Amino acid sequence: MKHKILTASFLLFAAIANAQLNTNLIMDSRMPSNLVDWQAKPQTITLIVSNMGGSVAKPIKIRTTIKSASGAEVSTTDVGQAKIYTFRDGNTILTAADIFPFEIQRFTGTYQKSLNKTGKLPSDSYTLCVELLLATDLVPQATIKCRNFFVAGVQLPICMMPANNQEIDFRKAQTAIIFRWTPLVPRPQTVVNYRLQVFEILENQQSVQALRSNQPILDKIVAGQTQFIWQTQGILGFTDDTNLDSSSQRKGWDGKIMGGRKYIWSIQSLDASQNPIGVDGNGEGRSEPIVFKILPLSPSKPKPKTGHVSLIK
Amino acid sequence: MKPIFIIFFSLAFLKSYAQKKNPISVRGTAGITYEGYGLNRNPAGFTGYTPRRPWNQVRFNFMPTVKFSKDFSLPINFNFAAFPTNFAGPYAGIKKQNIGQFLTNPMNNFGLNPTYKWAEFQLGTQYLKYSDLSTGDIGIFGAGFSLKPGDYRIKFFAGNSQSGINYSLTPLPGVQGAYKRSHYMFSVGKEKENNYLVAFNFAKGKDILGSVTTPPLSPINPQEGFTISMQVNKDFKKGWYIKSEGSNAIFTSNENDTLNPAMKGFKPFIEAKSSTVSDYAAQLSFGKKSTNFDIGLGGKYIGAGFQLPGYPFMQPDRFDYTVNTRFNAFKKTTNVVASIGQRVNNLSNTTTKATQLIANINWFTQFNDKLSLNVNFNNFGFNTNGNTLTGIPSVKNVSNDIGINPTYTWSNKTMSNTLSFSYNYSSYKETYIPYPILVPVTDQNNTHTVLLSYIPVYFNKKISPDFSALYFYNQASLIKITFATLSAGLAVPVAKDKVKLRGQLQYTLSTFNSFTPDNNLIASCNIDVKLDKKLTWTNFLSTNYYKYGDQLGTTYTGANYLESNVRTGFQYKFQ
Repeated sequence: MKHKILTASFLLFAAIANAQLNTNLIMDSRMPSNLVDWQAKPQTITLIVSNMGGSVAKPIKIRTTIKSASGAEVSTTDVGQAKIYTFRDGNTILTAADIFPFEIQRFTGTYQKSLNKTGKLPSDSYTLCVELLLATDLVPQATIKCRNFFVAGVQLPICMMPANNQEIDFRKAQTAIIFRWTPLVPRPQTVVNYRLQVFEILENQQSVQALRSNQPILDKIVAGQTQFIWQTQGILGFTDDTNLDSSSQRKGWDGKIMGGRKYIWSIQSLDASQNPIGVDGNGEGRSEPIVFKILPLSPSKPKPKTGHVSLIK
Repeated sequence: MKPIFIIFFSLAFLKSYAQKKNPISVRGTAGITYEGYGLNRNPAGFTGYTPRRPWNQVRFNFMPTVKFSKDFSLPINFNFAAFPTNFAGPYAGIKKQNIGQFLTNPMNNFGLNPTYKWAEFQLGTQYLKYSDLSTGDIGIFGAGFSLKPGDYRIKFFAGNSQSGINYSLTPLPGVQGAYKRSHYMFSVGKEKENNYLVAFNFAKGKDILGSVTTPPLSPINPQEGFTISMQVNKDFKKGWYIKSEGSNAIFTSNENDTLNPAMKGFKPFIEAKSSTVSDYAAQLSFGKKSTNFDIGLGGKYIGAGFQLPGYPFMQPDRFDYTVNTRFNAFKKTTNVVASIGQRVNNLSNTTTKATQLIANINWFTQFNDKLSLNVNFNNFGFNTNGNTLTGIPSVKNVSNDIGINPTYTWSNKTMSNTLSFSYNYSSYKETYIPYPILVPVTDQNNTHTVLLSYIPVYFNKKISPDFSALYFYNQASLIKITFATLSAGLAVPVAKDKVKLRGQLQYTLSTFNSFTPDNNLIASCNIDVKLDKKLTWTNFLSTNYYKYGDQLGTTYTGANYLESNVRTGFQYKFQ
């Protein structure tokens, strides 16, 4: 008798198991704040759907819900417009584009406003839950799976030193120039490769034009650090030669044009595979560039008989 | 090349015609420059130093302004180079260009600006800055106008900032590719110089989807943006002023996305797609300017979703404000320039909000005819709080730089002497608190720089020498770097001042920790020859020899490189 009950129980359990789909949700704990990026980086969310028992393939819709740390609903899939899947024998692997189709996600009031303004979710902790529903009556077909994640907007580094429009004495610059920038925020768990580039602004060039067209005179990848000491080794040339950019010119003590050269520098943030981190207008992960000037080698000549010298224009 | 010669000779004809009969005048410059670069590295296989210039480059410039009458002038601005050398932006990596790519490559300018009284026509490459929050950083090849009838201001321009460039993996390092980008901009307003300005600016940029057969890879997606801004500036009596601008930008980061019904676009200028954002920016500054005293207060807010095709590198999501001042005192013998400000980044994300404090002051005093002193101080601090729950670390950086620079000048009947001393101390401290360890990791980096320079000036001789010595010392955890540099220069005119010679020698001994020192010798010279009243031949030659000690390991002990630069060119002045 005991044997028969055990056999019956096993058969019943197997029948229930076969009727359902098993799912496994894998998700990065730190997600891009820009929601459109979720689909651009499909590996950020993976759902493995297993139909191992040979159950009849049914039409299934996926409902994905995001909740805030307090449990309030942030967004949910408009299941009326959701795509219909049929999961046959074996495993089916779905990615972010299938699980979180951005165009049919419906966001609640304040989050929709935030998305319209910035395209991002506010930095916070969230929970993402995935349900498989029967397309006909929306009855759940698998256990709901949830994962917690955190959203942090990436802020590219800011070029700090030399500061924008800072003037540097040629005699110091011909030996070394120190560059400093702020780190990528939030600081990733892996090392960031900061690519430091300096471009000379040639005669008759605009500053951003120089960046977009010239070969950099310094192109250095600095791993993890936010400072670099550059030995210029003669690349600055003479800063008061005849090829002067009129916008670089400045007057000396006696009113003569003294010359000088301008340079533009920027930081590109790269991951270990040298792919850009963060987003700028060009998709290059490049920080806002700034300009510095190297003052000419010689001051203008003092006059033989020095009267009162006013250095203030 | 042919059209250039035709234009050149046409202008030469106009010039000769002008000299004979009419009051047509031609002013400006034209020239051609060749640049050559060489790099020899030893031993074979040593790649520790990479080229810093193109191997060969030829640059042309042709920039005359033809003035036909008091009211009619034609400025010409042709600047272009023979070989593309783009490393950043849409043209990065391109080697072979078609005509459209050549014309719109930011390396090249082909601009004509015929102007008749208050009407200026803008043809070809133009760098037009309408305002800080609409458009201004990008060169556009197209056509438009700027009209200034009375106090009215009407501007329009349409063109392309880049041509379609196909993505290509080879030849290495490949071409990242770009979509053709069209721009339209319009501005209308009223302005009275030194009194007021009211203007409305509109700017649109749009990538053309079918402009490439092999599209660039993500994250370079076809983009579209539209901006409206309003500027109001007013100058008051006694130097007081106020400047303001408010702007709204709608930006789609991928035109391939589906329409977004939850968001209103701005039809017919732009439709809302799932990657479309709409955000605001504003700036305001006011203050007072006078001969001996300036003070100003300025603030700028850029929303997290504020993006402009006309300023592709603008950093969004920030608010910054500064107070700056300048004043002269003690009969103008003392001049002080100072500013202090704060910037808040990631304004929309409270968890990763980062603040920066930026302060600097420069104090100059001329004690008498002989002695002056310049003191400057710069500080910046950066702080972002981490998050224990998510493991985001805290980062706090503080940088302090102080510089003291006295200069003493004395002279007699035959010469004057200038002796200048400079000391700079730079301190940089980075604190990083990783989670869950919560033990701060601090990296302190200090730099001392001492510079002494001497410049004698002979009243009865034509030679102009200069000498300087510099010592640089940098210490951080596990790192110690020193540079000792000696430098001397000499300038002398010869051949009845028709040839100007100038040379410089520089030697640097550098050490890194306890490794044997590196040696660096640089020699450079300029030779400018005045061939004619209007024609100058300019030359620049430099060579840089660097020899490592043993810091690169036994394989490359004594590794060295020789880098050389040559630049030669002719410059013609139309006047």
